[in-house]
Amino acid sequence: MQQHRALILRSNRFLGSALVDRGLVSVGDLEAANEKFMDAIQASELKRASILNTLLFELKALEETKFLEHLVEEEGLGLIDLSHVDLRSLRPHNVDLSLCWVTSTIPFDKVENTYMVASCYSLSAPVLRCWEELLDGRVIWYGTSTTSMTRALERIEEIHEAEDAASAEEETSN
Amino acid sequence: MPYSVLILDDDVDFNSLLTDIFEQANYIVTSLTDPLEAVEVFQDTQYDLVVTDHKMPEMTGVEFMKRIKKIRPQVPVIMVSGYLENDTIRELISEGIGGVFLKPLNIFSLLERTIELIEEAKKLENTPQGEDGMLEVESDMDAKLGFAFRSFPCKTGISTAFAERLYSLRNFKSTLSLIGEKGMHYRSICDDIRGFYESDAEHFVYLSNGSFDRAQVLSLIEEAKKQGAERITCVLLELEKMSKEQKKLAAALPKRDGDFSEVDLPLRTIFCVNGDLDSLFDEGLIDENLYILMGTAEVRVPPLRECSVDVGVMAQQLVVEVVREKGLNEIPRFEKSSRDLFRQHKWEGNYEELRRTIRKIMDSDPGDVLALSVVKSVMQVTKAASPRALFESYLSSHQVDLVRAAAVLFGGERPKVASFYATDTNAVAAKMQ
Repeated sequence: MQQHRALILRSNRFLGSALVDRGLVSVGDLEAANEKFMDAIQASELKRASILNTLLFELKALEETKFLEHLVEEEGLGLIDLSHVDLRSLRPHNVDLSLCWVTSTIPFDKVENTYMVASCYSLSAPVLRCWEELLDGRVIWYGTSTTSMTRALERIEEIHEAEDAASAEEETSN
Repeated sequence: MPYSVLILDDDVDFNSLLTDIFEQANYIVTSLTDPLEAVEVFQDTQYDLVVTDHKMPEMTGVEFMKRIKKIRPQVPVIMVSGYLENDTIRELISEGIGGVFLKPLNIFSLLERTIELIEEAKKLENTPQGEDGMLEVESDMDAKLGFAFRSFPCKTGISTAFAERLYSLRNFKSTLSLIGEKGMHYRSICDDIRGFYESDAEHFVYLSNGSFDRAQVLSLIEEAKKQGAERITCVLLELEKMSKEQKKLAAALPKRDGDFSEVDLPLRTIFCVNGDLDSLFDEGLIDENLYILMGTAEVRVPPLRECSVDVGVMAQQLVVEVVREKGLNEIPRFEKSSRDLFRQHKWEGNYEELRRTIRKIMDSDPGDVLALSVVKSVMQVTKAASPRALFESYLSSHQVDLVRAAAVLFGGERPKVASFYATDTNAVAAKMQ
């Protein structure tokens, strides 16, 4: 995850500014979230370094339903519950799972040349830019809840582990 | 048909003198001493020009002018006063004053300016959208801004949005970042932010890489406390040029960490940087801590090229500044073509470049009208200026900072500062103000 340190800083800074600009959180709350975020960064606990999670769950300065409503009504995004999606391995698309964790983003489907991508950080320009550069094709963005995202990422981790186990077994049997 | 003039001055003797002057020059004069009455009369009568005093008991000349400009903005106004603060003159210019005359009065110049303004106004009346098609937009902008803002005249949407954003963030809790380009006038912008608060207990201290260290900050905080500060805002100018150690201090300041843990007053910091945060971070000019800290509340300062209509007014304000410094009686005005040139120029060096240019123009004794030929030649010379000339210009535009820095070094003893600069204490006091 260390390789994504700069992206983590950048994506969280932009998300924080976007939330303030859209009147979803106050500057004071963002200052408090930034402090906790920097504590996590300096302790190299990068999985914990999320301004969004801090605002939602630690500071309770933002209600997730309000945030999702904003994505739909003001930003024109569709919402997706990833628990109803048949998730598959990300390896064929050359996607690093740690990048998904640090940006709270998953490409969950592909139709012809178009990727469907769910993200909790869709208000953060560096996250959009990073994924649109990485995925070779058109991207349709969806919003999702943090719980849905975490569970989906854990399921993909399990899928990757199962793949690893299967290939290890195959090597042993050969 | 003779033109009609409204004269407002609460000093009966001076009012009657002005009335005589204008009547002798064949104007139809209404002379009044009460500003409230004058507003009512102005509402009901068509005048070609208004002459007003500034210091009056019911309302100031600036307030009076704002009131009548709302009724009929096209009527030119001249102010005649014994003494005017620099800020008042700037405000007058941004409100669209036609002329400022300080007592003792040069009658001939006053009458000359009067006829010039009336004829200009008549010409504009016959041009549906105004001389440059901008007048309606400009007066709309004036009416929109409900607070004082001097660093940008806010004649464009971009500068108005900038001023409004700063105003909306005036109660920032601990940090605010002004992100601009080289040559921006951060100090004036921060003076505007200071002006958003009415309380005398709000203190702003200005620090740059030459004056920012722990001892200096603590001494300025102590000094501000003695003067009754209840909250201190530290303005860090050109943060990107500071040393690593200074940047560490900069990050500690708003949190009152480390060296500042014993400060018992609320501290806030305004970071002023040239260059966007991402580039500064990528270039290693700010660390992770500052990158996040500065990103909490950031405001982009518009470069001059994006608010070209403002540049003409800023240039005129700078002329007034020089006029005050040199103790001249009259304020030269730009020809329309000169103003157009100013608006078209790119101003890569932003406000500092504009300031340098105006000083050069004023140093060339240009007379009452700043003609295009003079402006053009100075702009060409400025472009090719020698390093020495640029350094001299830098020193000249940072006089206040340098005097203040010396005052800190000498523990606030003005005679010592005066002796250091081989000048007198009055000159030092004037700069300190």
